[in-house]
Amino acid sequence: MSYSSFETKEQASARALLVPLCLFLGALLGFPTLINLWYSFSDVSFQNMIGTFVGVDNYVAAISNPKMWQALGFSLKFALICTTLEVAVALVLVFILHPLLIKRPWMTAILMLPMMVSPALMGVMYRLILNEFTGAVPVYLEMAGYAVNFLGRGNIYKTVVAIEVLQWTPFAFLILLTARQTVSYELEEAAAVDGATGFRSTFHILLPMMKPALVIVIFVRFIDSFRVFDHIYVLTGGGPGNLTTSISIYIYKLFFVQNTLGEAVAVSILLLLMSLTLIVVAMRLVVRRS
Amino acid sequence: MIVSRHSRLDSVTHCLRWVVFVAVALLVNFPILSTVLTSFKTNADINAYPPKWIFSPTLEHYRAVLASPNVNYSHYIMNSIVIATLGTIFAIVLTLPAAYAMVRQGVGRTWLLPIITNLRALPLIIFAIPFYFMYKQVGLLDTRIGLALISCIINIPIALVMFVGFVQDVPRELDDAAKIDGASMWKTLWHVVLPLSRPVMLAVFLLSFIYSWNEFLFGLILTTKSAVPVTVGATFFVTSRGIEWGPTAAAMTIGILPPLILGLFAYPYIGKSMLAGAVKG
Repeated sequence: MSYSSFETKEQASARALLVPLCLFLGALLGFPTLINLWYSFSDVSFQNMIGTFVGVDNYVAAISNPKMWQALGFSLKFALICTTLEVAVALVLVFILHPLLIKRPWMTAILMLPMMVSPALMGVMYRLILNEFTGAVPVYLEMAGYAVNFLGRGNIYKTVVAIEVLQWTPFAFLILLTARQTVSYELEEAAAVDGATGFRSTFHILLPMMKPALVIVIFVRFIDSFRVFDHIYVLTGGGPGNLTTSISIYIYKLFFVQNTLGEAVAVSILLLLMSLTLIVVAMRLVVRRS
Repeated sequence: MIVSRHSRLDSVTHCLRWVVFVAVALLVNFPILSTVLTSFKTNADINAYPPKWIFSPTLEHYRAVLASPNVNYSHYIMNSIVIATLGTIFAIVLTLPAAYAMVRQGVGRTWLLPIITNLRALPLIIFAIPFYFMYKQVGLLDTRIGLALISCIINIPIALVMFVGFVQDVPRELDDAAKIDGASMWKTLWHVVLPLSRPVMLAVFLLSFIYSWNEFLFGLILTTKSAVPVTVGATFFVTSRGIEWGPTAAAMTIGILPPLILGLFAYPYIGKSMLAGAVKG
């Protein structure tokens, strides 16, 4: 009896330790979500910040706007292409560079530099070095006999993909390398003694052991590329036209450029629902595997 | 004979690995390298054709950036330092006790921990509009504290995951000993867990500071003048009238330097924190 009341007291003080975090998240994430929900059913504007109920008008406007589907399509395609390239390149690089890096952590550090840079500043730096007239890259290419306008209409899509891939392949590389390095030396030795070498040991022993890390990298990179904003915003602002408008940039433009607040909020809610669905599905997959 | 052929093959592979490393390192770091070099060139060297790799360095652009009449860059640097530091401290203060309670008493472990870990997967733009209106109502628009709160939200998931991993590794016997001595949970946390947490605290601080420093979206939406962070302020140098190459490059270099330096120490934790989240979350 006294034991159980002691435990309850412990539980109570444990709950007390959680209270600040819960209050904080409730106030700064829960409350805004509720505001969003209300706004999505109201005619909110910069003049009328409370808004009056208008039913599902905003959702109808959001869904019937082809530009939303374009932006969603852009984000999905962008995320798929970038994730595939990043993970594939990183995986190959892990197997090539692992023996070189295992005793030289400073070399790994050099490869990690790009992902420490703010994506917005990375975008500005690429804007400088890709500049048609004075940027270093076009100048060298011109000297080699190629004239490429990286920021022109024809190449801009490839350029924003390439920047994302160049900045975040190191991230995928790091996670996979960390996973690769935790495969113990003894296990590799044992595999070698059993006659599994080279590609066979790679495919039958290393890859299965790195599978959880692969799942995480794919998930994290997909989510991050899907919500891309920073480098595209500073590079193109979503243009030319809507060519590089991701879903995040689309919501930003609805809100700050076109001032169609209700529609912007409705798209936000739809995006929230999609993200939650994606997270739940991904979690189910991970849990089932482990 | 066989042995020597084998070792020759080995050294060829070894060389190829080095070639791949140098090529990849140059490729991914090219914008950083190029920008940093440009920031130290005189205007004449910047416009030189073909581009110069060897030149006598100058600090004139750094002086110009820090004394610019149009862009108050040193103020933006200060903003970023304050915002990132405060946001990081808030996140630590909120998550360390929570992690302790979750691991030791299991409170909220099955529902709250997964919810918070998954927060980092949500597109932040979803919260941009309500935050704008909320901040406008309570006067937090364009304030450092307003952005520090955002930083805190962004860093809570990673801080919580790392602290949960840490508390799991603290031997339970230490807690029990303190409990027998009559220490309450708060006291145990303060006197036993906190002193042990220094290494993980440093890791959380580094990662959290880097992520806060690099934040752009909310800086763009929620600030106009007084609380503008470096990431947003640096873009002011690129105007529609044209780009002043030297000062822009100097501003970029200042803006990327703190996370680059911290990143040299922090990068191993990024790998570990990501993998820990999956195994334990």
